Amino acid sequence: MIYLPIADNIDHVIVDVIQALSPLVLFFLILQVLSLKLPKDYVINLLKGLLITLIGMVLFFQGVKIAFLPAGQRIGELCGTIEQTWLLIPFGFMLGFLSTYAEPSVRVLCYQVETSSNGYIKGSLILYALSIGVAISVGVGMIRILYGFPFLPIIFGGYLLVLILLRFCDSDFIGIAFDSGGFATGPMAVTFLMAFAVGVADSMGGRDPLLDGFGMISLIFLTPILMLLIIGIIFKMKKKEMYHDS
Amino acid sequence: MLSDFKSQFIEISKAITPIILVILIIHFLFIPDFSISNALVLILGSLMVTLGIALFLVGVNVGLIPIGNAIGSDIPRSGSIVIILMTTFFLGFLATIAEPNVRVLADMIQIVSENSIERLQFIMVISVGGGFFIATSIFRIIYNVPLAYLFSSGYLLVLLLLFFAPPDYVPIAFDAGGVTIGSINGPIFLAMGIGVTSILGGRSAISDGFGLIGLASLGSVISILIMGIVAL
Repeated sequence: MIYLPIADNIDHVIVDVIQALSPLVLFFLILQVLSLKLPKDYVINLLKGLLITLIGMVLFFQGVKIAFLPAGQRIGELCGTIEQTWLLIPFGFMLGFLSTYAEPSVRVLCYQVETSSNGYIKGSLILYALSIGVAISVGVGMIRILYGFPFLPIIFGGYLLVLILLRFCDSDFIGIAFDSGGFATGPMAVTFLMAFAVGVADSMGGRDPLLDGFGMISLIFLTPILMLLIIGIIFKMKKKEMYHDS
Repeated sequence: MLSDFKSQFIEISKAITPIILVILIIHFLFIPDFSISNALVLILGSLMVTLGIALFLVGVNVGLIPIGNAIGSDIPRSGSIVIILMTTFFLGFLATIAEPNVRVLADMIQIVSENSIERLQFIMVISVGGGFFIATSIFRIIYNVPLAYLFSSGYLLVLLLLFFAPPDYVPIAFDAGGVTIGSINGPIFLAMGIGVTSILGGRSAISDGFGLIGLASLGSVISILIMGIVAL
């Protein structure tokens, strides 16, 4: 019988998830007693939902830890040794797209945007915009690791662009755009993509893997904001056109 | 709930299959010492991830989102702005402390700063920042302060701080912006903002309900840049 380390350190994962849930649940229960006073059956259903969330998160985090984290590292190290280094750029682009496409909290954002706009803004539009945004980030991150150009000007230029685009963006999109940065840097990005970037930087040698990894996350935080601001500008232009036509 | 799970599971399987296939193909083709037990762990882990996300999303829809909505629509009822701001500050503070990623980041900061910044001190600073900005965003929804003002002045401040902060802190600061929002406090804050707009008249969920997460992230970025400047 071969030994499969699928449950290693799962207790840490369970403690982490319970810890993250508990203050919010406690806060809710206090409000429930003091002022909400929702029907008992309803509260029990909510708590069942929380239990399902808890089990789901434990499975998800553990799965990411045993499968995606080492896979990202291995692929990153492998990529650091290939000769046609430029291949890393499209490859990073693809990994960025696919992992955001699978990111659970991005799905929650898309769902909330679609329901609270009554379907006016499609969830799939947000999903593709974020996936492409992260793909660009990882591609740029690879260029940066390959050619070693400095990080600060990219970040400075990026946020300067954010400030400029913000002036022309439809107001419906501003909140969503800035929220999206936090959702795009979810567990898939932070474990898989970061492990990949650190693996590449590590096998290239002569770089600081810790800071390269962080740099990658900073880029992943930036591009979704830019993408959604651009979509907001396009929406605004379309609205104007419709106004002129009618 | 069961049919919801089934449809989520199918949806997530479709979302996650491409990345799993890419990973498996690369492993089989290019990694020479890729053993059967490694392959099994990869496949089992992927199954856990798929099942985990599907359960998580079902749970979010029937648990976290309604809870966030309920908290959000209850907060403005107290009528006193002081109580509203105090409770939301407290909630944001606790939710940030509880986020596991914040602790991971705190360890990293300790390494980068060569122990000049204490772990606990860092966690406190970032959580106070989180609480402060969550309260600010509730304030802005109630008093209708345009998000564009808050974000442009916030990021303008960030750009200014970039000139003074030590270079090592910059990537960590933006990383903090991302990680303080986790898979649990993210959906709850999102639903809370929308809940607050639902109870106040004349607000639209789409343009007023969002922005909480973005402001909390901005708070973390600013607080770490300032920490870096202070630590110089």
